[in-house]
Amino acid sequence: MSRKEIKGLFLWPILLLALSVVLNLSLGSVYIPTDYIFTAFFTETNINETWHYILTDYRLPKAITAILVGGGLSVSGLLMQTLFRNPLAGPFVLGISSGASLGVAFLVLGSGLFTGLGVSALSGPWAMVIASASGSFLVLLAVISAASKIKDAMALLIIGLMFGSLTGAIVSVLSYFSRAEALQQFVFWSFGGLGHLSWTGVIILFISVIIGLVVAVASLKSMNALLLGPQYAQSLGVSIKKSTFLMVLATSVLAGSITAFAGPIAFIGLAVPHLVRQIIGSPDHKIMVPSSFLWGSIIMLLCDTVAQIPFSSMTLPINAITSILGAPVVIWILLRRKNLLF
Amino acid sequence: MHWRYFIVIILGLQTFLGCKDPKTTSNLAHGCLNAQRVTYAKGFCLTQQNGYTLLKILDPISGQMKQQIALVPEGARYPEGFSSDQLIKVPITSIVATSTTHIPPLELLDRATALSGFPNLDYISSSLTRARIDSEMVQELGQNEALNIEVLVSLKPDVLMTFSIDETQNGLEKVKQAGIPLIYNGDWTEQHPLGKAEWIKVFGALFDIEAQADSIFRTIEKEYLNLKSLAKQSQTQPTVISGALYKDIWYAPKGDSWAAKFIEDAHGLYLWKDTAGTGSLQWNIEEILQYTHKAQIWIGPGQFTRYDQMAQSSPTYTQFKPFQDKKVYTFSSTKGPTGGLLYYELASMRPDWVLSDLIHILHPGLLAPDYEPKFFTPLAP
Repeated sequence: MSRKEIKGLFLWPILLLALSVVLNLSLGSVYIPTDYIFTAFFTETNINETWHYILTDYRLPKAITAILVGGGLSVSGLLMQTLFRNPLAGPFVLGISSGASLGVAFLVLGSGLFTGLGVSALSGPWAMVIASASGSFLVLLAVISAASKIKDAMALLIIGLMFGSLTGAIVSVLSYFSRAEALQQFVFWSFGGLGHLSWTGVIILFISVIIGLVVAVASLKSMNALLLGPQYAQSLGVSIKKSTFLMVLATSVLAGSITAFAGPIAFIGLAVPHLVRQIIGSPDHKIMVPSSFLWGSIIMLLCDTVAQIPFSSMTLPINAITSILGAPVVIWILLRRKNLLF
Repeated sequence: MHWRYFIVIILGLQTFLGCKDPKTTSNLAHGCLNAQRVTYAKGFCLTQQNGYTLLKILDPISGQMKQQIALVPEGARYPEGFSSDQLIKVPITSIVATSTTHIPPLELLDRATALSGFPNLDYISSSLTRARIDSEMVQELGQNEALNIEVLVSLKPDVLMTFSIDETQNGLEKVKQAGIPLIYNGDWTEQHPLGKAEWIKVFGALFDIEAQADSIFRTIEKEYLNLKSLAKQSQTQPTVISGALYKDIWYAPKGDSWAAKFIEDAHGLYLWKDTAGTGSLQWNIEEILQYTHKAQIWIGPGQFTRYDQMAQSSPTYTQFKPFQDKKVYTFSSTKGPTGGLLYYELASMRPDWVLSDLIHILHPGLLAPDYEPKFFTPLAP
């Protein structure tokens, strides 16, 4: 691929990303003129205090979260699809979202049942994040310890699925015995959400996503080799065990931190890598990883803009929008291409 | 990795969390000793301090303090030792409420015009507030679990009154950052029928019309106590059951709950009054079938409003004596114009109306013959 082609592959998405950010910032329940947005960010003038707060403390952190969430999940979905050589794999196949939902379920649904255990002692604005992160962490610990024992990546996939079923069952039991209000709170968590992060939250998420991306970039070479199959990869001098560990680690950091802050965001991680493969037509991970990040961010920003239903006080759950808008697009692209690139 | 590592981690977490075990302290320990005029409610107290009123919101079960707020009269100096989200200038002029139970106190205090936003407006039934909603003076805020932050911030209310006591709810932190003070209204956790109504005093303090709130509460209290002693005069004490099946589990109020207390005060014998606790009891069908012929009256069969609806839903219901005798009463038939249940909005503020309805059902003849029930009506055939 020539230098010019590569430039073209990245120039458009970057312009589109910038456009999506402006669109996302200018549309919401409260009407704020677009020119005011530029005034607010690039000058010191503060015309309307409420608009200023909505822009700088609500819409801007939400837009940054959307970029991190969309990009991070797409990259981790790509990692898992490559590792398992399975087009159905996504960021949550290792049981990260099930672990997170178990943690949150214990916090929200279990507080009535386990008062003696002190679960309810966890409170405050960070409680959900801590519960979710520690849930994912415990499940991951189990999956990684399993990964270190078995050689076959497929077995790891099945173990991840089993953990998912197991935690799902525990969540069902907890839901069965919960009050309606607690259940509703849990359901709302499972819808996912981008708008509630404080700036501190955004910074922590940013750092985690950067760490995850650095680990992902470190395994670029072995990812390309893995595309040829594990035997070939090994003959090229790639340590399967080490690269598996690195890819699992990157996915855990990315998907784990994103789920902790934004809830289990569906679809993006599974679909965006497919979308990007069809668009760029090259399996090279040096292009796939940054492209997945860019396109994931763009799609997440656009979905969030739609979910806000501009100028109405209604909002829709982000999880529904990603699938409603995303699934037809993926189907359409696959039909047009007639053959699946994977 | 071995299982024993997991056990160590779990035990470690347990100790870590266990350290924060809430201290069981009573209202008194939190300086509610000198609190005035709070008789039945366990979730708050108001204390007159030097130049301001101190509002404390407590956990009704542990008595642990959840929140303390200084209500400072206009023109007075802010007391020291409070952060900005703990200071509210009174009287407030605008409020965003989140539960329909917050509407009746506002209206009784003649402050319905202060309501500027509410999530899920359709739940509100009161004609006064509905008229304000129709003329777009109250903003829709979406879902309570996902309040529309942009609209809420642009409304700039003096107070956001929420009903959830935990701060884990998404977005509340944003509201605080925007400088909108939060007050946790725990009226729904009160277990005494008059305790919920007493929360009108919090509204009174916020609007700086405490005397008015006190007198409204005293009127309701007096009415309630009069009705209670009237019910006691009845010679009979009918046995009452409550609840309904959800799938194959029967949910009914436990013996110490709000609903059970009403039945007791209406001089009825709640069949499950000896079950300890305030939540709901959950029994399976086999357990519940033992009680089919032990009660005469059935109050509150879930969402059902018709007998045929119940029979269709589960044949188990037809086994009960009150069902066969057509003695089932529900509050689910009395709805507002947009489908909100009147009982959920008004019952906590008007326990006297709930009690008179129950007396009307349990002791026909004690009240005036032309008594019009406010909430509880017989099921339709």
